[in-house]
Amino acid sequence: MPHPMLSTLDPWLATAFWSALTIAFYLLAKRLYRRWPHWLLMPLALTPALLIVVVLLMHASYGDYMHGAGWLLTLLGPATVAFAVPIYEQRALIRREWPVLAFGMVAGSLTAIGTSWLLATLLGLNGALRLSLLPRSISTPFAMQVSQDIGGVPNLTAVFVVLTGVFGAVLGDMMLTWLPIRSSLARGAVLAIGAHGAGTARANQLGVEEGSIAGLLMVLVGLLNVLVATLLAALA
Amino acid sequence: MTAHHLSVRFRYGLRHSAPGQIVFLGLIWLFSQEVVRATGLPLTGGIVGLALVLLLLATRRISVLSLRRGASWFLAELLLFFIPAVLAVLNYPQLFGLLGLKIMVVILGGTVAVMGVTAMTVELSGKWRARHAASHALDA
Repeated sequence: MPHPMLSTLDPWLATAFWSALTIAFYLLAKRLYRRWPHWLLMPLALTPALLIVVVLLMHASYGDYMHGAGWLLTLLGPATVAFAVPIYEQRALIRREWPVLAFGMVAGSLTAIGTSWLLATLLGLNGALRLSLLPRSISTPFAMQVSQDIGGVPNLTAVFVVLTGVFGAVLGDMMLTWLPIRSSLARGAVLAIGAHGAGTARANQLGVEEGSIAGLLMVLVGLLNVLVATLLAALA
Repeated sequence: MTAHHLSVRFRYGLRHSAPGQIVFLGLIWLFSQEVVRATGLPLTGGIVGLALVLLLLATRRISVLSLRRGASWFLAELLLFFIPAVLAVLNYPQLFGLLGLKIMVVILGGTVAVMGVTAMTVELSGKWRARHAASHALDA
């Protein structure tokens, strides 16, 4: 049951309310995380959690929320266009290290898709749910696109991408101390290919070199997955 | 004021204005959406726009200075734009039970595997390449 006050709300007012709330919680979460960098306060986790609490308290539905704040998703389009800039700015790195970058992306992507499929099957998950899990290691705009192409549910994929980001950032720290890797190339690659944007944010904290490698790889690995999925969808 | 003069002023203004660059990226995306609609390409406007911008940058038709500030903004605030999709969990209350636990196992197990394999691949292929380059240097 939608809240009586909310369902009588003017649509423009509802849009203003849910949009302002989303932006306010996002800015608040960013500020809190800057002050206390604990993983539970990651804006990636905290912003949706706060919004879910408000939606539930107001007895609103996902539909009500989407009517109000769904327009923000449109901005993923121009954001994807913006990914051209880090690719261009890191062209020297691509020219120098392309075989290593390519090996890492292909091996990482095959592992992501293969282990998701295998573990999901072992645990009895199947159908659209299993398909929605496959692209969870790449950045959201790419992952939602891949999910669409292979017959998953893009919104579910967005949820799984966020979970991968939150836990991947924590796992990344553990793996980097535990794994016998020393090169900044490998450290950046682990974080970007394992945990997309959240991993890239961690890589930026490790160092400038790790950060730029991660920023580039996060985009390239997403692009690689989208192009392969598009090709598969076109052939099918 | 000539057209050339205006174009110079426009470019100069664009290099110093983050909001201008944000709008510029939005316009490129809208144009790319139209290209996709007109040609029936199986790609999204975002991907076509990305390719278009890379092409313009590589051929020096536009300077990276005309895009850098706007692009940084889009990349820094990326999270804000997909939050509405994440709230879709509200439609799947079953995710908060055993099913959610299984999904967590898939995500945690898969992520550890991805990180391990990526680390070993990049580290080993990097070392192999360094050795390869060294032996080539000896040949020469």
